[in-house]
Amino acid sequence: MRSILLNEITKIWSYTAFRTIILLHFILFLLVVLVTSRLDITVPGFSTDYLYQFPNIWEFFPWVASWFNLLLAILIIVMTGNEYSFRTFRQHVVDGFSRSQLLSGKAFLMLMIGIYSLLMVLLFSMIFGFIFTSDYSGGAFIRKTYILLVYFVQAIAFMSAGFFLAVLFRNTALAIILFILYRLIIEPVMRLFFPPEARLYFPMKVIANLTPMPEFLSISSGKRPSGGGVDTLSFREMGLMAEDLPVLVNLMLAIGYTAIFITLAWWLLRKRNL
Amino acid sequence: MEKVLETLNLSKSYGRIRAVKDLSLEVGPGHVYGILGPNGSGKTTTLSIITGIIAADSGSYRWFDREPRATMRKNIGSLIEVPNFYPYLDLVRNLVIVARIKDKPLDDIDRVLKLVNLWERRKSRFDTLSLGMKQRLALAAVLLGNPSVLVLDEPANGLDPEGIAEVREIILQERQNQKTIIIASHILDEVEKVCTHVAVLKNGEAIARGRVHELLAVDDPVIVSCGEADRLKEEIVRAGLSESIEKQGEKLVIILRKGKTAGDINQFAFSKGIVLDHLETRKKSLESQFLELIK
Repeated sequence: MRSILLNEITKIWSYTAFRTIILLHFILFLLVVLVTSRLDITVPGFSTDYLYQFPNIWEFFPWVASWFNLLLAILIIVMTGNEYSFRTFRQHVVDGFSRSQLLSGKAFLMLMIGIYSLLMVLLFSMIFGFIFTSDYSGGAFIRKTYILLVYFVQAIAFMSAGFFLAVLFRNTALAIILFILYRLIIEPVMRLFFPPEARLYFPMKVIANLTPMPEFLSISSGKRPSGGGVDTLSFREMGLMAEDLPVLVNLMLAIGYTAIFITLAWWLLRKRNL
Repeated sequence: MEKVLETLNLSKSYGRIRAVKDLSLEVGPGHVYGILGPNGSGKTTTLSIITGIIAADSGSYRWFDREPRATMRKNIGSLIEVPNFYPYLDLVRNLVIVARIKDKPLDDIDRVLKLVNLWERRKSRFDTLSLGMKQRLALAAVLLGNPSVLVLDEPANGLDPEGIAEVREIILQERQNQKTIIIASHILDEVEKVCTHVAVLKNGEAIARGRVHELLAVDDPVIVSCGEADRLKEEIVRAGLSESIEKQGEKLVIILRKGKTAGDINQFAFSKGIVLDHLETRKKSLESQFLELIK
C-alpha cells in the first residue's frame, strides 16, 4: 500500500499539468472568497460580512469550493487518462500489480486531492472566520462544521465519477467532454422528464446538493434560517428554490453513487484487456 | 523438474481473427526460448497473455508449476511491445516506480542504468530519449532486482547494430547466469545466436518447436562430389537413402531420409566402389528453416 501511495506522489510531483490545475483551483477559490469579502453592499440591514462569520462561513466556503470540483474531477480524468495513453497501467500489471492495485492507486490519489481541498477550505474558513467574527456565542465556531466533511464526500464523489468515465473511455479528452456535457446538459435535460421528487435522486444532483447554496437573504440580513418563523428570509420558503433531500439522505446517496462509480471502474479494469 | 512456464491449449480471438490457437509450450529452467513467427502470428498476444495484460479465451498457463498470480510477475522481468514509461519523468524516477511495484531495492537502479549505458542520462526526461535509448531503459526496467525469468518481445526493436550487439551481450550474460529467457523476435540470426529452444508460430499455431540444433538438423543437405556422380545418384535413389537428390554441376545435393547421416552416404558409396572426393553437411540457417516452415 505504501509503494502504491508513493508511486502516485512521484507521478504527480513532477507533472506540470497537475500542478497547474491544482494552482488554478487554489487561486480561483481564493480569488472568489477575497473578492466577495470586499463587496460593499449598501442595502440597509444586509451585509456580506455575515457570510464570513462563524458558523455561516462553514456553509459559505464549501459552497464556493464546490464550484471548482469540476477541476478536481478533470484532474483525476487527466491522471487516469495518462495511464492509458502512456500505457503505464498495462506496464504496471506486467511488472506485478493486480488490477485492484491499479484502482487503489487512483483511490489514493482521489483521497489526497480530497484532503488537499478539504484543508484549503478549512484553512481559509478559519482565517476569514476569525477575522470577521466577533460573536462566538452559542457554539458559533463549531456549529455547521460537519459541512466540511460533507464537502469532502462531495469532492470524492465528483472525482469518482470522473475516474469512472476515464476508465470507461480510456481517452482523456473524450472523458472530460462527456463529464462536462453530462454534468451541465445531459443530466439536467434528463431530469426534466421526471417528476420533481424523482429529480433529486440523479447522481449529479445528489452530489451537487451536498453543499446547497446558503440562504443568502437570511444570512446577510443577520437572521438565520429556521425552517419556519416570521423573521426568517429564505429562498426556499419564498418558493425561489426547490426543496432538497435531508442532508443525511443526500450524503448516503452520494456515498452510494461513489461506491457504484468505483465498482464499475473496477469491473471495467478487471474485465477488459489493458 | 519444475517447469518455469507451461501453456496448455491457449486460445485468443479478436473478433473473427484467431490470434492464438491451442498453443501449448513448455519452458524449463535455464532455457532461452525463442518464439518466432511472421507479423500477426500471435507472438505478442501469447506474451501478453502470460504476462497478465490480456485474458485468454480458453486454455491455461502456469508459472513455476503454479496458477498465475500478480505477485509472481514481480520476479519476471517483462518487456512487451514498446517501452511504457511516464514521458515527463526522468529515467531514475521512472525506474523508482517500477522498483516499488516489483518490491525491489531502489539502489539497484544505478546498476541497471550502468548496465544499459544510460547512467549519464539518468536525469533526462523519458521523452527526450531516442527510440534506442527508450528500448534500453525498458531493458533496465526488466533487469531491475535481478529476476530469474525474462520475457522479451522484440528486445532489439529500434536499436542500431551497436545496440543490437549490446542487447545480445546482455541476453548472453543473463543466459550464463542461468536465467530463463523467453524471447520473441524477428531477427532470426539473433535468435539463433542466443536461443536454446524455439517455437515457430504461424496463424497462432505452433508449427514447429524444440531445441534449436534439433530443428536446424532436420533436412540439412549433404553435398558430395565424385567421379561417378550419375551412378552414385542412381544407387542412392535405388537404395532409398534420400528424400531428394539433385545434381548441381559436378556435385550431388542430397536431402537424407530421417535417421540417415552423411557417414551412411560415405559408407554406402564405399560399398558400391565409388570414391568420394568431397563430402560435407551444409547447415541450414534458422532463417532458411523458418522461411520453409512458414511457407
